[in-house]
Amino acid sequence: MKVTIKEWNAVAAWRWDMPDDDVCGICRNPYDSTCSKCKFPGDECPLLLGECNHSFHMHCIYSWIRQESSQEKCPMCRQPFKSKSQTAATATPTAEGQAQEPTTSPL
Amino acid sequence: MFASKRLGKELQKLHEKLPPGITLIQADDLKEWLMDIQVVDSNPIYQNEVYRLKFMFSPDYPIQAPEVVFVADETHPIPWHPHVYSNGIICLDLLDRQGWSPVHNVESVCVSLQSMLTSNTKKERPPGDENFVKHNKQRPRDINFVFHDNQV
Repeated sequence: MKVTIKEWNAVAAWRWDMPDDDVCGICRNPYDSTCSKCKFPGDECPLLLGECNHSFHMHCIYSWIRQESSQEKCPMCRQPFKSKSQTAATATPTAEGQAQEPTTSPL
Repeated sequence: MFASKRLGKELQKLHEKLPPGITLIQADDLKEWLMDIQVVDSNPIYQNEVYRLKFMFSPDYPIQAPEVVFVADETHPIPWHPHVYSNGIICLDLLDRQGWSPVHNVESVCVSLQSMLTSNTKKERPPGDENFVKHNKQRPRDINFVFHDNQV
């Protein structure tokens, strides 16, 4: 028997490589969701991991750091907040059905 | 708008579950909430009393700290504490610009104030209370408190 595929639709899902139930400590939205100001999650509203290993939506932590009173400290541990890498995390889409765990590029 | 989404989430959680001695009284809008706190252990200074807290949020909450004061009425006195003025203004570093962090929330502030009372042994007002209460026209967030006492 020969089967001819006439049409197929690929569906992809992504998520940040972060613990499932974790939320951004500032806006309390899940990491996979957006900060309070954005509409679309993903590259438009990335996460930022600090050297102290605390992460936030980039927009959330920027709003905080911009405040003089923050003294540029991490809201969690009050260490000076420094991004682990200069570039924010980027999401990598993975096709559904593949065995591979969804991954993101290293932070 | 930061505050509305975050406060909405907090409210949902407050409706589900609250630590002992903490009660949500009013949260009709996203500007001003009322919470009641009680000291749950047997500290004699606070026996059988309920204190009412008023939270005021700016549109930038939680980037900006909420303003939190005790409010008095017939059934709710202002608790005795060396850091609580008799007009309800609270001197606590975590509510001040320098001590606030956006990971705090209404519940954690209530718990901190509850534990501040629980551990207190002095039935006192802050030094200069009478003068401060008489002359202070500033909002809590505009007062520059000096934090010198790390005991309470």
